[in-house]
Amino acid sequence: MASNASTSDVEGQLRSPSQKVENKHEEKVQDPDREKHEPKADMGSKTWADLAGEMKIFLWNPEERTCMGRTAKSWGLILLFYFIFYTCLAGMFAFCLYVMLLTLSPYTPRYRDRVSPPGVMIRPYLNGFTIAFNVSQPNTWQPYMDSMHHFLAAYDDKVQEEKNIECVPGQYFIQGGSDSEEKKACQFKRSLLQNCSGIQDPTFGYSRGQPCILLKMNRIIGYRPGAGVPVSVECKVQKGNESHLRSVDFYPGNGTFDLMYYPYYGKFTHVNYTSPLVAMHFTDVQRNHLVPIQCSLHGKGIINDLNSDRFLGRIIFTLSIGK
Amino acid sequence: MFPDPGSLGNKNSSSLMLCSLLSTSELEMKYGTSIDKGLSSARAAEILARDGPNALTPPKATPEIVKFLKQMIGGFSILLWIGAGFSWISFGIHNYKEASRSHQLYLGVVLALVVILTGIFAYYQEAKSTNIMASFSKMIPQVRATVDNSSLTGESEPQSRSCDFTHENPLETRNIAFYSTTCVEGTATGIVINTGDRTIIGRIASLASGVGNEKTPIAIEIEHFVYLVAGVAISIGVLFFIISVSMRYKILDSIIFLIGIIVANVPEGLLATVTVSLSLTAKRMAKKNCLVKNLEAVETLGSTSIICSDKTGTLTQNRMTVAHLWFDNQIYSADTSEDQTTQPFDQSSPTWTALSKIVTLCNRAEFRPGQENLPIMKRVVVGDASETALLKFSEVILGDVMSIRAQNRKVAEIPFNSTNKFQLSIHETDDPQDKRFLLVMKGAPERILERCSTIMINGKEEPLDSEKAEAFQTAYMELGGMGERVLGFCHLYLPENEFPETFQFDTDSMNFPTSNLCFVGLLSMIDPPRSTVPDAVSKCRSAGIKVIMVTGDHPITAKAIAKSVGIISATSETVEDIAKRLNIPVEQVNRREATAAVVNGMELKDMSSEQLDEILRNHTEIVFARTSPQQKLIIVEGCQRQGAVVAVTGDGVNDSPALKKADIGIAMGIAGSDAAKNAADMVLLDDNFASIVTGVEEGRLIFDNLKKTIAYTLTKNIAELCPFLIYIIASIPMPIGTITILFIDLGTDIIPSVALAYEKAESDIMNRRPRNKRRDRLVNQQLAVYSYLQIGIMQSVGAFVTYFTVYAEQGFLPSTLLGVRVNWENNAINDFEDSYGQQWTHYQRMYLQWTGYTAFFVSITIQQVADLIIRKTRRNSIFRQGLFRNKVIWVGIFSQIGIALILTYGLGHVTALNFTPLR
Repeated sequence: MASNASTSDVEGQLRSPSQKVENKHEEKVQDPDREKHEPKADMGSKTWADLAGEMKIFLWNPEERTCMGRTAKSWGLILLFYFIFYTCLAGMFAFCLYVMLLTLSPYTPRYRDRVSPPGVMIRPYLNGFTIAFNVSQPNTWQPYMDSMHHFLAAYDDKVQEEKNIECVPGQYFIQGGSDSEEKKACQFKRSLLQNCSGIQDPTFGYSRGQPCILLKMNRIIGYRPGAGVPVSVECKVQKGNESHLRSVDFYPGNGTFDLMYYPYYGKFTHVNYTSPLVAMHFTDVQRNHLVPIQCSLHGKGIINDLNSDRFLGRIIFTLSIGK
Repeated sequence: MFPDPGSLGNKNSSSLMLCSLLSTSELEMKYGTSIDKGLSSARAAEILARDGPNALTPPKATPEIVKFLKQMIGGFSILLWIGAGFSWISFGIHNYKEASRSHQLYLGVVLALVVILTGIFAYYQEAKSTNIMASFSKMIPQVRATVDNSSLTGESEPQSRSCDFTHENPLETRNIAFYSTTCVEGTATGIVINTGDRTIIGRIASLASGVGNEKTPIAIEIEHFVYLVAGVAISIGVLFFIISVSMRYKILDSIIFLIGIIVANVPEGLLATVTVSLSLTAKRMAKKNCLVKNLEAVETLGSTSIICSDKTGTLTQNRMTVAHLWFDNQIYSADTSEDQTTQPFDQSSPTWTALSKIVTLCNRAEFRPGQENLPIMKRVVVGDASETALLKFSEVILGDVMSIRAQNRKVAEIPFNSTNKFQLSIHETDDPQDKRFLLVMKGAPERILERCSTIMINGKEEPLDSEKAEAFQTAYMELGGMGERVLGFCHLYLPENEFPETFQFDTDSMNFPTSNLCFVGLLSMIDPPRSTVPDAVSKCRSAGIKVIMVTGDHPITAKAIAKSVGIISATSETVEDIAKRLNIPVEQVNRREATAAVVNGMELKDMSSEQLDEILRNHTEIVFARTSPQQKLIIVEGCQRQGAVVAVTGDGVNDSPALKKADIGIAMGIAGSDAAKNAADMVLLDDNFASIVTGVEEGRLIFDNLKKTIAYTLTKNIAELCPFLIYIIASIPMPIGTITILFIDLGTDIIPSVALAYEKAESDIMNRRPRNKRRDRLVNQQLAVYSYLQIGIMQSVGAFVTYFTVYAEQGFLPSTLLGVRVNWENNAINDFEDSYGQQWTHYQRMYLQWTGYTAFFVSITIQQVADLIIRKTRRNSIFRQGLFRNKVIWVGIFSQIGIALILTYGLGHVTALNFTPLR
């Protein structure tokens, strides 16, 4: 709204030249008797040559030394006006944004209602939500494997031990102090994922047709999932033959996100925070079929049945395992 | 109705003249008919087959469906159709390539709906305005033409018809009667020499329909504006299409950007707003007695620079009224206003008593019974114009005329005839002591004077010597010079001894004296100007509008009226006046010195168009007298050659070509013929010139207000366009959606822009010259630059502040937003990280984006409120104009805020509309 305050000024500046122009017209009009009868300006009757000629005069009128109807001085002034005008506007814009940013905390966004409850994502994620490979052809699952290794690099036990502390499981890890204080992160060691850690089986089961898929919950500052009870994961066939999915193993625990990894304090203070994961080991899935699977979170405050958002508290992907 | 001879042109006039020259038997020969038996039925059928029925060909009307389709594709509609087409194409391709992208389909449907709805709306408005016209025309009192040629020539006097060939001009000769004229009295037999479209009226009607319907100035302006905006839309669209293609956007995405840019640039609601504003003004004008037939004509009146006005009925009251009296060697002037109840002049002289008696008694006119409660001037009288004037005049002064007449019983009477040029009646006196008869006489002054030997001065009869006759002459000349019709009055008390009570008067043998009478006085009459006209003319003058009088009347009368209403101002002189003053021949006068000119129709006939142009250029005050109807057209064309916007008033059928040719034809509602009303763009319900001036003011006001409306509407286009441009260039999340834009254009902004049409006039509206068609455009560079580059940019900046604030408060700081478009819109990325490390699903981001749309929308809406207040005035300061004088503006503002609230909080949960509740 501040920009409107200057409107009247600008209007005032504009008015005077415009009025001058009008006055000039009036002087001319005042003596219509002496004015030469102008030829009829019919668009239809003009030839292209006339138009070109007019255009040329418009671009450069050698008599009045004007370019596009303005003399050099006039152009200079108008450009100067717009330069100052826009500079002021830009300054005002920057100032408004600056003041607005000053009111925001750098650690916590003012509102978090649009980002919660949390969404869910899986790894490996290459191009979409279809994980298809042939067991006998390593090049079909190699990219998945690489993606997993790459993603889990940050969860290496060594890295975790180095950067993060061990926390007490089963309770929220609430850290007091001021907002700007650096927060400690809890260790989430890759080894917790057991068969899906890629330590014993670097192919994450892909080579045996028992793929591991990691599930992570979106980070939300200050969010405490489950309200005291850990959020668990459950998978089932989505709209299909349920016998196609015979067994899934979950790590760690029984496929829960331990409370000690929450709440999250934001990337500036919670620098080394690593999202907890749940690995889903699809040990017995119907081969040579497209098996649509929906994995969803369960817990208090989790929404997993919103039609418009298919990634809110759940994720749907398709497994297609060939021989 | 007479079937009549046709043809106005030279080619046929010779044959017509032949007809009028031929004798009856020769005519019978020529047309193979006989006066007694008529045509044989076989011959009649043959002629019917050849010429068709005796009816005028109705003008071709545009079929309704064509009008409707024109609304559908005219203006911006074509651009929006293109937008809709692109949406569907892109939907089709998407649909083919991948599943579910239905919002392109929606968008296309919405755009098409917008076009269709605005088209229907505009069509409905047009249709409604015609309906207003139809219903009003029934209300106009239909004054029956009681005179024969008035519908054709505009002359109001009945003309007699005989078998004599009297004039070379078929319109003037006495032995031809015309189709569409009415016979007032008498019977006659004639031979039909032309039928249908070949009659004079048929020729006039075809002349009228042949005169092209020129585009109204406002139509030209709107077309210009549409071209301008469409040009901007297309060039920016194409420019950014090229930019986005070269920035390696997909062609399909680029097309979607193109649609967005077009939709943002096109003020969808504006044309509807313009139509509504025009029809509002039309309604307002109808209340002020200007009925507008064609909506666009509303503005034309405002740009009028020359008004060619009729005299009779428009400038004058269209009724003879006593203006001056001469008795006791002195001229008295009478009140000629419309609602006189008394007469102020000195009535103490006994001469006046005698004169008033003559005026009362020597008069055959009578009031229709049953009008006792009406004001005298409004009563209907049976009798001719002069007698009516005299009757009303005496009724005003003396009271009940009829009882005076009853007390002075009439014993004999000789009505007026053109040979005698006098009217005479003999009465008993109301004085029971006085047994004499009173002979009263009125007539052409010189004839009356011839019959008099004495003259009454201060109640005493004095001999009429040459000195007194001289005084009479002077007075007669003076009154005649004022363009007034003068009547002389005289009386004689018949001696009792010669004419006893029982005397039988015989009007055929005239057994009573008709000479050596006593002259009493003169009365002069004129059709006086309407009292509102002088003021209206001076208003026209200060508004830079030239008023030209075009009349069939005598030049002296015309000039007198022109002077009294100010068409010729008190100080200006005609060439003849200068010649008279300097006592030199007319030819020696420097024509440049004369500002006024009275041009006779006969002179006009011999003038070349260059000479006419010279007159129109060199004189500011012009009266055309004794003009024929066809010359009116020539005058209008002459004015248009000067580049003027010409308004023409007219009432007769003969005026219809001129009405049609004029930029705005104004027909008279009361006196006007249907043909004139059909040809006109506007009908004056009260036939009053002053109403035209009100119309001019309204017309100028609407032009000003449309300027304000357009400036208001164009401003936000930039605020709608910038988001697209920045979205394309900086790859930020889309700040505002196409549908949201439509909600601004067709939702929140509509009522405020209509409200600007209610804005009151600014102080100088009637003090500036009429706008110049070629220079003062509706949308000029200044307006566009001011709206687009100044206010528009400010609005965009304001809206972007809101946009960045909303995102920043949710966790996306401005720096994070730059360049995120591809990932942001990727619906497979559901852990998109914001500035704080939080992760968002695609839908959460979209929901945030819609919140952004809503915030942007609200921001534009609020700024448009401020814009509305800025646009209230163009020249006046806001305080001078007053914030609260236009209440509708506030309705507009509250509606704007209300609609925004409903959209945001009421419909915030309908996802298809892309609105979300705001905090």
